[in-house]
Amino acid sequence: MALAYPTQRVAYPYFILALLLFVLQVAVGIWLALSYAVTMPQWLVDVLPFSTTRAMHTNLLVLWLLLGFMGSTYYMLPEETERDLFSPALAYVQLALLAATGVTALGGFVFGWTKGKPLLEIPFPLDYCIVVGALIFLFNVGMTMLRAQRRTVIQGSLLGGLVFLAGMYLFNLPFYANLSIDWYYWWWVIHLWVEGAWELVAAALTAWILIKITGVPRETVERWLYVELGLFLFTGIAGTGHHYYWLGAPKYWLWVGGVFSALEPVPVVLMLVDAWHYVRNRRAQLNGRLVFVFAMGMAVLHLVGAGFWGFMHTLPQVNYYTHGSQVTVAHGHIAFFGAYVLVNLMFFYYAMPKLRGMAAHDERRGTVAFWWMSLSMAAMTLAFSVAGVLQTYIERVMGLGYMTAQGQMQFWFAVLVVLGLSLLGGVVLLVLDLLTLRPVPTGTKPA
Amino acid sequence: MSAKTARWIFYLGTAISLVLFLGLTADTHRQIATLTHADQLSDRVVAGKRVWHKYNCNDCHTILGFGSYYGPDMTKVYWRRDGDGIKAVLRDPERHTTWRKMPRLPVTDQELDQLVGFLEWTSAIDTQDWPPQDQKFRAAAGRSVALGVSPGAALFREKGCFACHRLQGTGGTLGPELTGVGSRLSEETIRQIVTNPTAVKPDATMPVPPLSDAERGELAKFLASVK
Repeated sequence: MALAYPTQRVAYPYFILALLLFVLQVAVGIWLALSYAVTMPQWLVDVLPFSTTRAMHTNLLVLWLLLGFMGSTYYMLPEETERDLFSPALAYVQLALLAATGVTALGGFVFGWTKGKPLLEIPFPLDYCIVVGALIFLFNVGMTMLRAQRRTVIQGSLLGGLVFLAGMYLFNLPFYANLSIDWYYWWWVIHLWVEGAWELVAAALTAWILIKITGVPRETVERWLYVELGLFLFTGIAGTGHHYYWLGAPKYWLWVGGVFSALEPVPVVLMLVDAWHYVRNRRAQLNGRLVFVFAMGMAVLHLVGAGFWGFMHTLPQVNYYTHGSQVTVAHGHIAFFGAYVLVNLMFFYYAMPKLRGMAAHDERRGTVAFWWMSLSMAAMTLAFSVAGVLQTYIERVMGLGYMTAQGQMQFWFAVLVVLGLSLLGGVVLLVLDLLTLRPVPTGTKPA
Repeated sequence: MSAKTARWIFYLGTAISLVLFLGLTADTHRQIATLTHADQLSDRVVAGKRVWHKYNCNDCHTILGFGSYYGPDMTKVYWRRDGDGIKAVLRDPERHTTWRKMPRLPVTDQELDQLVGFLEWTSAIDTQDWPPQDQKFRAAAGRSVALGVSPGAALFREKGCFACHRLQGTGGTLGPELTGVGSRLSEETIRQIVTNPTAVKPDATMPVPPLSDAERGELAKFLASVK
C-alpha cells in the first residue's frame, strides 16, 4: 500500500526520533523518582543534581511531543491539501536543526549551561535556533497550504495552532527583572501552549484521524470542531488566571481564574461524547481497531487528567493549600499523557503502517502496550496524588515543616520507582512494536 | 446546530475571553509595581535574580509556588532563615541538610549577597498570604505565647525537628528519640548541640538548625524540660 503523496515520507524520521526521546524521557523520570525515594550521596548530587535531570525530563517531553506534532502535520498536510509538501528538503533541514539544538541543550544542562527557567531552560542562543526551526516549519506548512487552494477548517485550526504556538514562545526570550512579571509571561508560554495552541493542533490532528477512520462526514466533524475550539479558547485563555492567584497579581484573578477554569472540563467532555458518537456510527471499513483504542483512550484520559485532576485543585480555596505540591505533579503527568502523548501515539499508529507500506499489521503487541502504559500511568497518578495529599496536609495544613512531610511521602516515591519501571516496560514495547510492525499472522482475519 | 452557529460560537467565545484577558493584563501591569514593591528592585536584587537563574535553583525549589518540588519553597525563605541563614546553607549545603542533599555550588561571596537581596525582595511580594506554612510560621511566635505554648515547643515544631526526631510518639526516626532527653542531657549541652551539633558529637549528621541565639536558648529550655 503506497503513500497517497510521496512527500508524506518526511514524517518518518520525525516519528523515529520522537519515539526514542520518549523512551529516554521516561528513563530519566525513574531517576527523578529514585532521587525522592532514597538519599543520593553528596558527591553524586554535586556532579549531577536533581535540577539537571529534571530539566532533561521536561525538555525531552516538550521536544518529542513537538517533533511528533510536526511529523504528524507533515504526514497529514498533503492528504488534507491534496498536493505534495512545498519542500521536503526544508522539512529535513528543520528536523536536523531541531535535533541538533535539542541534543546540544541536553548535553549543555549537564555542564550547567541553562537559562534557569523551569521547562524553558534552553539558553541563548539555542532558544533562537528553536525560533528559526519553528519559522522554517511555519513557512513550509504555510506555503503548502497557500499553493493548494483548498481551505478546510482542519487546516485553519492546525495553522492557527502552530502560529499561536510559535508566537507564544517569543515571550520566553526577554529577561524580566521583576520575578512576578517573569512568571506572569512564563504562563503565556506554558499555559497558552497546553490549554490553547497545542489543543488547536491536537484537535485538528484528531478530527482528521476521526474522519479517516470512521468515515463520518467532514461537515459534521468540522462543525463540532468549531464548537470545541471555541469552548477551549473561551475557557483556556482567561483560565490562565488560575496561575495568577499567588504571584503578586491583583485579587480579581482569584475570581477570573476560578470561574473560567471551572468551565475547562466542558469542551473535554464534549470531545469525548463526540468521539464516542463518531466511532459508534462509523461508516468506514478499517483493517484493525488499534487507532480507535488510542483515540478513545486519549479522550477518556484527557478528561480524567486535564478535566478531573485539573478541576480538583484549580479552585482558589483548594489551590491555596495544594499549589506547588505533588498534587500539581499528579495532574501534570496524567494530563500530558492523556491529552498529548496519546494523541501523538494515535497518529503514529495510523501513519506508521502506511509509511512502511503495510495495509494491516498485527495489533496484539500495540494493544498490550497501550493498556500497560495507560494503567501504569493511572497508578502513578494515584501515587503522586497520595504523596500530594500528605504534603498538603502535613506541611501546609499542620505546618510541620517541609522535610517532615517529605519523610512521610518517601514510601510513595519508592512505589513510583516501581511504577515508573513498569511504564518504561510498556513504552519500550510500544516503540519496538512501532519500529518493527509485523504483518497480520496468517490464518486470522483482521478484526 | 448549523455550521454558521458553530462558527459564531468559536469567534465569540475566543473574542470574549481574549478581550477580558488582555484587559486584565493591562490592569495587572498598572497594579503590579505596588504589589511587588517594584521601587525596591535595585541592581543588587536584579543581579540576585540572575544568580538564581545561573545555578538553576528553580529546578529543585519552587518560588511563588512555581518550579520543581525537590526542595522547600523559596518565596518566603527570608522569613525562615534570614540572610545569614541562607548564606550558611549555600556555603556548606551538606552541613545544613539531612537525607535530601543539595549540591555544593561554586557561588562567590558577592553572588551570595546578591541572591539574599533577591530573596529578601521576593519575601515582600504581596502573595495573598500564600504559602500557608510560612504564614503560620510568621504568626507562630506571638500566637504560641498567647495560646500558652512555650516558644521553644513552637520552634521545635516549626523548624522541622520532627522530620528526624521522635517526641512522645510523633516524628521521624533518622535522629535520636527525644522523649526524656531532659533526663539525659543538661540544658547547656542541648544548647551546644543546637548551636553546632558536631562540636558535641563529631560524627553527628544533624544539620545546624537555622536559629537565632535567643531561639537556641528557648529550644534548649524546652527540651531540657522534657524529662
